Amino acid sequence: MASPFKWIDERVDLVGVRKALLDRKMPGGLTWFHTLGSASLTVFAVQVVTGIVLAMYYSPSPDHAYDSIRYLQDQVVSGSTLRGIHHWGASAMVVLVLAHMTRVFVMGAYKYPREINWLIGVVLLFIVLGFGFTGYLLPWDQKAYWATQVGTNIAGTAPIVGGIMVRLLRGGSQLGAATLARFYALHVLLLPLMLFIAVLLHLAIIVRQGIAPRTKALDADAPTRTSDAEYSAFYKKAYERSKGAGVPFWPDITTKDVVMGAAIVLILLQLARSFGAGLEPPADPTDSSYVPRPEWYFLPFFQLLKLVPGSMESFVAVGIPAVLVIVLVLLPFFDRKSTRSFSKRPLARASLLAIAGSCVLLVGASMAEDSAEAVAAETGRPLSNVQRAGRALYSAQGCGSCHAIGGKGGGTKEDAPPLTEVGLKHSGAWLHSFLENPLRFHPETKMPSFGPPTLSHQEIEEMTRYLVTLRGPNGDLKKPEFVDTFPPAPKSKE
Amino acid sequence: MDEPTPTQKLQPEGEAPDTGTIDRRGFLHKVSTVSAGLTALAVGVPAAGAFVSPALPKKATDDWIKVADDVALIDVGEPVRVNFVKTDQDAWIETRTLNGVWLFTEDGEKFKAYNAKCTHLGCSYVHDKEKKAFYCPCHRGQFDIKTGKVMDGPPPRPLDELEVEVRESAVYVRYRDFRLGIAERVVS
Repeated sequence: MASPFKWIDERVDLVGVRKALLDRKMPGGLTWFHTLGSASLTVFAVQVVTGIVLAMYYSPSPDHAYDSIRYLQDQVVSGSTLRGIHHWGASAMVVLVLAHMTRVFVMGAYKYPREINWLIGVVLLFIVLGFGFTGYLLPWDQKAYWATQVGTNIAGTAPIVGGIMVRLLRGGSQLGAATLARFYALHVLLLPLMLFIAVLLHLAIIVRQGIAPRTKALDADAPTRTSDAEYSAFYKKAYERSKGAGVPFWPDITTKDVVMGAAIVLILLQLARSFGAGLEPPADPTDSSYVPRPEWYFLPFFQLLKLVPGSMESFVAVGIPAVLVIVLVLLPFFDRKSTRSFSKRPLARASLLAIAGSCVLLVGASMAEDSAEAVAAETGRPLSNVQRAGRALYSAQGCGSCHAIGGKGGGTKEDAPPLTEVGLKHSGAWLHSFLENPLRFHPETKMPSFGPPTLSHQEIEEMTRYLVTLRGPNGDLKKPEFVDTFPPAPKSKE
Repeated sequence: MDEPTPTQKLQPEGEAPDTGTIDRRGFLHKVSTVSAGLTALAVGVPAAGAFVSPALPKKATDDWIKVADDVALIDVGEPVRVNFVKTDQDAWIETRTLNGVWLFTEDGEKFKAYNAKCTHLGCSYVHDKEKKAFYCPCHRGQFDIKTGKVMDGPPPRPLDELEVEVRESAVYVRYRDFRLGIAERVVS
């Protein structure tokens, strides 16, 4: 009996497979930037392995989802590490796929003959984002629930199909059990299958075409456009030449890939052990004061929606992703110049700078706002979610145009008292009533009534909670002395 | 298919044209192996750990259960079945199961306590007053009341006796379940 290898080789030609896959000649001079694609694949494998074990401890129902995650975190051996790797792996996927895409863009590798693989790559990017969006809900904690509320609401602002979109995403009109089951099915069945097929195609095409060589190899004496008749013959020759100077795929090229993959996975492990994945209190659909935050990679989009006026919102919410898809899909067909070297493509440089720059600015602005909101500058104290919401209302309603807090804001109106220490003078109950209907208290007041329909009782309460925190400098050391006087209750208007 | 160019003929492993290449290739092989191994360990260890977690020995829990408030209330010479609800943590769900023990005393001081599940396949056996034995209706197993020994039928081992303690005249039993259907007594 010959060795099993020989026995199988005789029948399926293992050596041929090895020659075709591993001994392939590659163009020379591949950099560490060329490992980003395989690193994405490595992290995807990590997500599959960790995800399978996570699924063994997960129950996709609102009754049990949160408890099952708690159990995983607290009771299962290395459960929190495992969930941490999956959590950070999700971010790594987005980073790596975007970095890989940027590399391909910069090196002009999406041009002839690789347009198809660029398109599959675009599909892969959106599958990865879909993973992020659907996985975010699964822990069923506050963050998950409210971020998904916002996310599905954004889809609902789409013209014409908005209502259908929301019901499709939520599996009903409300976010609940059906949504969770649906997201779970997408996250563990549909998206992995789609990604698997797309990756298989992506890789098959790479093997068929070979990796794109260094830009120099294809730029010298090239016809001006890839659509020119003689370009394909030129390309074939240039590509063969670049491989002549090259090295075999295994182990010369693959070593960099494997090292890069290992480095990233070790970083993920470290992040998982140091920071874990975090778990907020269980989802509470009645706590509408919770201010959700999406995962960082959706922040540019999230921040953009804050910057546009309400009337434009649906246009931006649907328009921006749509434009992004269209631009990415059309790029290889629109850009037919044969030049691949980034230094000779001013338009490509400008657009990459513009997109990356605006994303960085938007993420920065969002994070700056978050940290500014977390600690109120006027009191220097951290605020709860409810108080933050109240503070946002205070500025949105333009209270600061009449009232001053800590010397900031306030107009020339004599009769708008500064609110620097209002939390020491009045109780929450009094402030709530006053905001609702100031005329009850001072018939002469110029302050408008904020009761419904201007603000809901919930919003007035949020504002009140914020005002109560205003106690001036060193407010925590001062005892409040309330001077609350309530006029007789107003007759109901019904 | 890539055909190797004549100048750069691909060598089968171990027949490299010069030792420089074999050293380099060997080095790359080692680096790859070590890196791949690290990757596998970094993810494999937590994943395997979480996967086998339920099979690992658990911390001992307090499983003493009060089955009678007063020794005096228990019939002498007649076995009594005491039922109680046990709260179990079933992964992330709390389950309540109705469990029982048979208590038997001949003098009101020394107690025998048997797990109320038949050792054959876990049916609830009953006290057969005529035969003066425990009788399991599922497959006609019979056990001796005083010792728990199998007198008849398919049960593979005697009844599972439980530890009993009398504290301040209340009776406590250390309740545990054992794997059923086998001759050995293994805590399940």
